[in-house]
This record gives sequence, C-alpha cells and structure tokens, in this order.
Amino acid sequence: MTKNEKKSLNQCLAEWKLFIYNPTTGEFLGRTAKSWGLILLFYLVFYGFLAALFSFTMWVMLQTLNDEVPKYRDQIPSPGLMVFPKPVTALEYTFSVSDPTSYAGYIADLKKFLKPYTLEEQKNLTTCPDGALFEQKGPVYVACQFPLLLLQACSGMSDPDFGYSKGKPCILVKMNRIIGLKPEGVPRIDCVLKNEDQTNITTYPHNGMIDLKYFPYYGKKLHVGYLQPLVAVQVTLAPSSAEKEVTVECKIDGSPNLKSQDDRDKFLGRVMFKITAHA
Amino acid sequence: MELGWKKRAVAPMEQNPRQIPIKGPKPSKKKMKRQKKERDTEELKKEMVMDDHKLTLEELSTKYSVNLTTGHSHQRAKEILIRDGPNTLTPPPTTPEWVKFCKQLFGGFSLLLWTGAILCSVTYGIQIYFREEPAKDNLYLSIVLAVVVVITGCFSYYQEAKSSKIMESFKNMVPQQALVIREGEKMQINVQDVVLGDLVEIKGGDRIPADLRLISARGCKVDNSSLTGESEPQSRCTDFTHENPLETRNICFFSTNCVEGTARGVVIATGDSTVMGRIASLTSGLESGQTPIAAEIEHFIRLITVVCLTLTAKRMARKNCLVKNLEAVETLGSTSVICSDKTGTLTQNRMIVAHMWFDETTYEVDTSKEQTGKTFANNSDTWFTLAQIAGLCNRADFKPHQETLPIAKRATTGDASESALLKFIEQSFSSVTEMRKKNPKVAEIPFNSTNKYQMSIHFREDSSQTHVLMMKGAPERILEFCSTFLLHGQEYSMDDELKEAFQNACLELGGLGERVLGFCFLNLPSSFSKGFPFNTDEINFPMDNLCFVGLISMIDPPRTTVPEAVNMCRSAGIKVIMVTGDHPITAKAIAQRVGIISENTETAEEVAARLRIPVSKVNPSDAKAIVVHGSELKDLHSEQLDQILRNHTEIVFARTSPQQKLIIVEGCQRLGAIVAVTGDGVNDSPALKKADIGIAMGISGSDVSKQAADMILLDDNFASIVTGVEEGRLIFDNLKKSIMYTLTSNIPEITPFLLFIVLGIPLPLGTITILCIDLGTDMVPAISLAYESAESDIMKRRPRNPKMDKLVNHRLIAMAYGQIGMIQAVAGFFTYFVIMAENGFRPMDLLGIRLYWEDKFLNDLEDSYGQQWTYEQRKVVEFTCQTAFFVTIVLVQWADLIVSKTRRNSVFQQGMRNKILIFGILEETFLAAFLSYTPGMDVALRMYPLKISWWFCAIPYSILIFVYDEIRKLLIRQRPGGWVERETYY
Repeated sequence: MTKNEKKSLNQCLAEWKLFIYNPTTGEFLGRTAKSWGLILLFYLVFYGFLAALFSFTMWVMLQTLNDEVPKYRDQIPSPGLMVFPKPVTALEYTFSVSDPTSYAGYIADLKKFLKPYTLEEQKNLTTCPDGALFEQKGPVYVACQFPLLLLQACSGMSDPDFGYSKGKPCILVKMNRIIGLKPEGVPRIDCVLKNEDQTNITTYPHNGMIDLKYFPYYGKKLHVGYLQPLVAVQVTLAPSSAEKEVTVECKIDGSPNLKSQDDRDKFLGRVMFKITAHA
Repeated sequence: MELGWKKRAVAPMEQNPRQIPIKGPKPSKKKMKRQKKERDTEELKKEMVMDDHKLTLEELSTKYSVNLTTGHSHQRAKEILIRDGPNTLTPPPTTPEWVKFCKQLFGGFSLLLWTGAILCSVTYGIQIYFREEPAKDNLYLSIVLAVVVVITGCFSYYQEAKSSKIMESFKNMVPQQALVIREGEKMQINVQDVVLGDLVEIKGGDRIPADLRLISARGCKVDNSSLTGESEPQSRCTDFTHENPLETRNICFFSTNCVEGTARGVVIATGDSTVMGRIASLTSGLESGQTPIAAEIEHFIRLITVVCLTLTAKRMARKNCLVKNLEAVETLGSTSVICSDKTGTLTQNRMIVAHMWFDETTYEVDTSKEQTGKTFANNSDTWFTLAQIAGLCNRADFKPHQETLPIAKRATTGDASESALLKFIEQSFSSVTEMRKKNPKVAEIPFNSTNKYQMSIHFREDSSQTHVLMMKGAPERILEFCSTFLLHGQEYSMDDELKEAFQNACLELGGLGERVLGFCFLNLPSSFSKGFPFNTDEINFPMDNLCFVGLISMIDPPRTTVPEAVNMCRSAGIKVIMVTGDHPITAKAIAQRVGIISENTETAEEVAARLRIPVSKVNPSDAKAIVVHGSELKDLHSEQLDQILRNHTEIVFARTSPQQKLIIVEGCQRLGAIVAVTGDGVNDSPALKKADIGIAMGISGSDVSKQAADMILLDDNFASIVTGVEEGRLIFDNLKKSIMYTLTSNIPEITPFLLFIVLGIPLPLGTITILCIDLGTDMVPAISLAYESAESDIMKRRPRNPKMDKLVNHRLIAMAYGQIGMIQAVAGFFTYFVIMAENGFRPMDLLGIRLYWEDKFLNDLEDSYGQQWTYEQRKVVEFTCQTAFFVTIVLVQWADLIVSKTRRNSVFQQGMRNKILIFGILEETFLAAFLSYTPGMDVALRMYPLKISWWFCAIPYSILIFVYDEIRKLLIRQRPGGWVERETYY
C-alpha cells in the first residue's frame, strides 16, 4: 500500500535501531523490560507445566511396564541372523593373509566376544540336558553352559588367529535373542557359498546345530549370564596368490517356526556376507 | 491526461513509424511492446475512416435504411442482429480452461510435489537398473504423490471455476439496458440486442450502448474520459464540427457515459466495430493492483481463501449485496466510516402522513407499524372536514386492479405527498373514490411553485346541493387566504392567539423535518347553483375569507431496519455520516430518527440554546453532533474539515453536491479511515471510485454509478451494508481461524526432525506422514472453518486497522507455534515413547541410539530387555511410531479445530452447529484409520496398523488443549484489555 514511499538506507537503519532499543519508551526489541519479564515468566510457567504433564504421563506409562518382559513382542516373532565380528562397512570382510595388521581387528573383536564363553566364566552356569527346551519357572533363572570347545577350530583355543593367517577365516553366526522364543524341530544354521565351488565351508558345532537347551530366553534382567548359542563358519579359501572373493549365505534351517525368507527383511533368519582375501 | 488518447494514438502517425525500431544489439522487451502498440494504433487509425458524422440526416437515413422517426421494424432488427451478431465486445482472449487446469495442477506447491514424485520414480528406475529386486517404496510413494497432486489440483480447479462462475453470474444480474425506438415504439432492450441503424435515446446517467450519430440533442454532455482521457464532460449536439470523428460533436461513443441531458441518435457501429471495440485490445492490458488481503494471503493457503470468499459472496448475494470483486468483501469488513445517502437508502423514498394539527392540538399518526388498520381515529368535526379536503382536493389516485392489496402497498398516480394523503384518508377515514363520487370536482387550480397552493371546487350531491371550495398548500400561503378557523366544528374568526398557535405548530412540525401542508375551505353561497361555469383563469367566484381547518405534515420515513443497523454500526465502531442534498432540518430530523444523531447528543446550536450563550462560545467538546451545510463546506479548508470529522462523532452533511461527497471521502481517508460510500447518481462515481468501498444502488442507481462501485445493494437498503460489514468481518475472522488451525500442526511436524538430530532418537515422524497431514487430514477441517458462523462480538468490536491488525500477527504465531503447537508436539512424543517402550525400547535407551538404529548392517541391535532386532524389524517399529504420531496429531487437531472455532467466545456459547466442521472431524479420523489399517499401506506408505490403546495416548493432551484455550478465552472475556488479551488474542 505504501510501496511508493521509498525509505532511505539511513531511515531504515534508524528504524532498526529504534526497534532494538527505544530510549523514550524503554523498549528493547519492541517490549519493555516488564513486558519481557511477564512474557518470559508466562512461557516459563507454561512450558514448566507442559514438561510436568509430560513427565507425569510418561511416569504413568512406565508404571504399566514390566521390567522383565516388554509389553508387546509381536514385532519380533522370528529372529534375525547376524555375523560376528561386524565389519565397519557392510558385511564385507577384507584382509590380507600375509599382513597380520589387516585382520588384527577381527581377532581382537572375536577374543573379546568369546571372553564370556571361556571355561572360567562359565563355571557358575548350569549344565543343561541336550536336545530339549530348557523351560524354567523362576523365580531364579539359570543359564546353560556353552562350551567353547564346540566351535573346535574356531574356538580360538587351538588357533589364536582364528584361521585368518592361514586363509581359513572364522566368522561367528548367531541368532538374535528374543524373549520367550521356542524354536520347533531341530534348528541348525546352514551356510552355502554363492558363487564359488573350489572353496570349502565348514560349520561348527557339527552341521551348524543349535541346541534347543538355550531356549527360551528370559530377558536381560532375569536370565543373568545367559550365553547365546553360536555357530562358527570357517571358509577355506583356495591357496592361490590371486585375490579371492567369496559370498557366503547362512540360513536357519530345520525349524518350521523360524522364518528364513522375507521380501523386505534380508536378515530375517538369514545373513549374507562377503570375504575378500588378498594374498 | 487531456488529449491523452490523441497523443498516444495519433502522434506516432505523424512521425515515421519506421524510424522507431532502432536495431540495437538487444531490443528490449519494452521496445517490442511499444512497436506492437504502434502497429495497433496504426491499424486503428486506418479503420478510423468514418464519415457518418459528415452525412446529412437524409443520407444517414438511406445509408442505414432506417426511418429516423419510427426506427427499424422488429423483423429488420432481428435480421441485422443475426447478420452482425450481438452488440458486445469480444472478451479479451481468456486463458483457456485447460491452461487454468494445468496452472492448478503444476503451479506453486504442486510443482514441488511433482518434483518429489519424479525424483522418487527416477530413484526407483535407477534401483531397477542396478539391483535385481528393488524396494517398491519409491514407486508407491511417487504414485501416491502424483495422485494427491492430481486430486488437490482438480479440487482447487473446481473451486476456482465455481467462484469465477459465481462472479460471472453476479455481473449478469445487473444487465445493461438501452432505450430504442422500433416501429415507432420506445422499448427497453438489452444492450447486446442493439443493432446497426437503431434509433437510441440516451439520458443523463446512461452508458452509451453503441457508437451513435446524434440526430437530436437537448443539453447533452458526455464523459469521454474512458476513451480520450479528457476529464471534462463534452457537450454534444447534432452539428458536424470537426473532420476527426473523435473530435466532432455529433458522435457519441460506445461505453462512454452520458452525464446529463438527453439525446437521440442512430447507431452507426456496434460491438467490436465501435471505436471502443477497436482499441479494446489496447486497454484490456490494464490490470488492477492487488488488494491488501490478496497480497497477504498469497503466502497462505489460497484454496481456503477462495472457498471463504466465494461462500461469503454467495451468502451476501442472498442478502441483496452483489459484490463485484471478491476482495471487496474483506475491505468492507474493515470499514470504519460509512457515508450514506439519505433518500432511498436510509429512508423508504415515499411519503407518509406523520402528524396533524387541528383544534389547536397536534395529533400523531401511527407510522410505526405496517399500516394495515386504521392509523388515526377522532370524533371531532374538524377532522371530518380536514379529511374531506385532503381526499377531495387531491389529484392522486389508486391505479386500477389493486383491491386485494393492503392500502399502504397500492400503487398510485400523482406525486408523493398527494399519494400519502390519499392513502392516509383511505385508511383512516373512508373510501376516497366514494367521497369523490358524492362530491364531484367542478373546477380546480393545480399546484405550482408560484401559487404554492392547490384549489378545487366540488359539488355536494347531498341534500344541500351547494358548492364547496377547498384549498391546500404551503401553510403560510393558506393562512393568508383565511379569516376564520374551525375549532371542534365551529367557525371562529381569526385572532392572534390562533396565529401564534399556528406558527408554533408549523415550526414544531417543520423542525421534525416534515413537509407541512395547510388546509382550508369555503362553502360557496347557494347562488352558485349546479352547473355554474367556474372559470379558473379569470376567477368568477370568491376565493378569500376562507376557513382554516388544520395542518397535515408528511415525512419520508426511515426504513424500519435502519435504526437498528445504525445502532449496530455504532457498536461496531463504525461512524455513519449522512451526506444528503436535502434541507438541513429534514436531514437532521431523519438523522435523529435513525440514530445517526443519537438522543442525548446535541449540536453546538442546541447547546447554545440550552445554555443561552452564543454559538461561538460553546465548548466544542460538548457538541458531539454537527450538521454541516453544503455552502459552509465549500469554504472550509481541508484542515477545518479534518477537525470537523475528527471532533464530532455524529455528522450530517446537508445540501451537499456530489462533488462535495468526494471531498468528504478524501477527508475521512486522510484521517486513516476505511470509507464506504453509497451513491446513485452519475456525479457520485468519483466518490464511489475514491472510496475504499463504493456502494451503488441497484434500484435507483445509474449505470455509471454501478460501474464505478465495488458493491451493489439490490434493495437500496442501508441495513444491507451492515450485513456486508458483518460478512466482511466474518470472512477475516474465519481466515484467521483457518490459518491458526493450519499453522498449529507445523510444530508437531517439525519438532520430530529436530529431536531426531538433537537427541539422536529414531525419527518420530517421517515425510510421508507429514504430507498425509498437510494434504490429507488437515485439508477438510481447515476449509470447514470457512463455514463457521460469526461470534457474538463480531459487530461489537472496533473495525480492524489494516495497517496494524494483520491477518497473521505475532499473537497468532505465538498461539499456534508457541502454545497449542507445543502441546501437540508433546502429545506426539508421548505416543512415540509409549510405543517404543511397549515394544522394548525404553526412553532412556533411545537417546543417542540414532547411529546404530540407522545402520542397515547392524542387525542385532539390543533393546532394553536384551532382545536383538534386525534393521527391518526395528524400522517397522519406527514406522508404527510414525503412524501413531500422525494419528496423535489428528486427534490433537480435533481439539485444535474446536478451539479455533472461536477467538473470544467459549465453544459452549458458539455451539457445534457447523456441520461441515463435524464432517471434517469425522473425515480426518476415518482417513487416519484408513491409512493405518488398510492392508497394503505398509508397502505403499509405510504406515502400520496401531493397537487401539495407542489411539488414546493423545486424549489427555487434546483435553489439555481444550481446557487451556477455554481458560484463555474466559480470561479474555472477563478482563477486556488485560494481559491475556494483549498477548494471546489473535
């Protein structure tokens, strides 16, 4: 409406200055000190009240929760499969047989991961009957032993390098923990090579068996010391100087209630990883 | 501007046009335009070869084969109409419908969405190319985006088309008429039916229906400013005065205006072949600037605005206000001064009897009601005599065949005062027709302005068989004829006492703004027997020493709805100024009756009279009312006028000319007021144009005034303006509410992303869900607020100051973003944390989890209970949370919608009668449920079904919003002007 009244730069500046501090009315940014005080007090009270209400509703909600078991478990009906150690980017293991520093990280990770599985750590755990679900009624829940020996060549006991120095890298495959999950049948982890046939693949324990005695899981709080059953995969790369690249796919097999095929979830009951070994 | 057209159109021809296109390296666009203009004017000049103005009348008659007294035959006119087509300008090439549609489909925000859709499908294409089995999300998202854009595009196109159709129909409701002579008969026809050779009659106030060659003219002046830019009216006659057809005086041009006088002419060009038609392409480029609201709303949802404005325009048309452009509705809402005419607008434009004075007593006639029964009853013989005179000495008569109508509604012949008397006597005394039959008129002298009386002689057909002379006229004139007076049926001789009483009565009634008539009679001696040849030119009968009977006064009564309307204006902070050509006394009386001057305010003169001090000594602050005479106004400086306008709340301008109206409007605008002006005459059009809202009268208004106005009152009623003001305010309020509602949900839409970054939690609300809110669930409720009815205070607050009270002010932003929006955001986060916690991720464990959460290869992420999640599994939880966040926003938007219904009143006062709003609530809820529960939505939009309990997480916060806002509004109502109002009343 008043576009024709062009303001000079100086006028503009003066107006801004007056807006920032107006000495006649004592207004700072268009408000007097009292006005600022009131509005800030109002928002302090308002947001304070809002925060209190939020905290209260959150508290009420947390009261309804159980410390041991989450309220809903329908979002994870079936476990995912995951490998260890986890490479930094993607699931691609790259190392050079001749260069120990290239796989030192993996070995360190493995050693750290397997620490709870050592005999000393497991001596307080129970020896459970094999081949059956180990259901407990509480109130004290005990954990079953997982003898590291089951992993044989990949246990790190006979070969502290987990085969990396020999071109036979070990990779652990584990099934995600899910509270109350009871696998049916005889679950095992079946690993196949995607593209190569000269390379060998070995799984420990034998046939990649997962014993049912490790199920069901009763949660972090109740099930103290619980050891997740592990399966080790050892890929024996053909001894040649050329660069080797193999893709391995592992799947849960033998249990009808554990899914291993999903369009969206590429890790539901299966896992795929790549090993690239330089000479 | 003088001769402006000539300069533009003719001057370039005198130069060599070929010199102008200088072949520079970069011919600017402006230059190209100029070249085009020159070409156009060149063509115009070529075709301007017109010789009709040089022809004699005989030649003209042969050229158009038309008889210059009887005009065309109907048959011939029809033939020519078929040959030449209707007399209208081909409308400038309007944007084709499909272009308009495309504009809706691809303009502005839609373009953004299209880009999104295209990017999505491109991504999908790339994924197909590089990966064997790509996720279909991108494909579905692009399809959904495209569908949303097409649907909203169609909807807004439909709305726009509907509103422009309504505006178009408004234009057609005020058709232009022309008076033509065909087969010797004068007839009103629509302008588009005027054909070449038609004889057309024009008079002051008309728009010229076609190019005319005048064949007779009486004091005719035309305003050619729209064609030549000459602002002075040009006189027109039949003589050929100039070679140039634009200069000669015997041609009138299509679409110019006749300002005064009358003329008759032959149509020499119609439609596009008229001079105006040929330069139409040059003038149609003129576009009016944006009105303030148009500029403001550009930033906000245009669609909602169009809906609001269209609705209001329709509603106003039902209440007899035609709005010529949509934004005028809103301007009307901010009106702070209305300058109104008196006659016809504030008054009914007819006369009724208001008072009588006889037997030395003033009697009031009941004028308030519909006047169906007897309005006056008295047993005095004087009254019988007075009624006889009023009925007999009266030339007015009822038109035939109206016996069934109530008397007050019957049409009459004769002038307004006589009709008033006729109706009054018919109603209160007896049938005038019978009275006249019994007392036939034998001679009469009609009223004229020098006599100032009317006389008639009647023969009494009863037993007396005598003549009686009756007379009515200006009171003082009548008194001069009288030597006796009638008191309770007895004649007494005239004395000073009666004369004084008479004077007082005259003054009293005159002071009420009424037109007073005196009545007297004389029984002629029996010597004037039946059949006596009374001669009114050379008077052969006595016409002095009459007997005075009484006075009857009449008034043009105010429209019944006006006092209430004026009162509403006053409480709405709108100043009503009366501007009239009438006498100051009449003007003031009407002003007092309609409340423009209220009961307890006084003018300076009245204060002076009361305190017995000279007018000059009156304290100006005591006199709130003033009646300004046109002659005083003429001598005032603009500062003095400003002072009058500023210092008086109740102002009447009497005896003003239309030019002075313009001065008054300008004065008000100088003081920062938004002025609405009513007008009907040709001369009012400058004031109508100058005013912020020009209001023309649909019945009495001239074509010119209707063109200049922004709004047309179909019933000429002042009260309709007030309705318009109310609607204008309502639309502004509703727009505010709608914007408030729409802005609020921005906060719960933005904060999730902020906290996603700052707190490192999984994203609580995604892009698709935001789009679902903005384009889906918020749409109908926001529009439904346009249907909200007014709050009770709408006409009790001051008009908005367009410079200060913006549509969107900092208080609205503070409310929407700082308060309600924050509550909504908190509600959303609460729902989010509930779902996360119930699925195993407790709030504390979520903080900072983002990097792990988003890692596609981390497929054993541990939750608070030791369970491990794959990427996809936790993403499903995340998307479920987003769906729940979305549903929560919908639920808190319920509360927001309900609190946005009112700005001051409680919702309990306002009620929930807005059906569209209830539909909106249901619609958004069903849409939310549909999006959440329809199978396949997980693939298409990544929205997942929710557990019923998660719907209730928002409820405490919805209640909080409602209660908080009700308390806020309660405080606003209870402490007007208090801190809460100053900080939160948007």
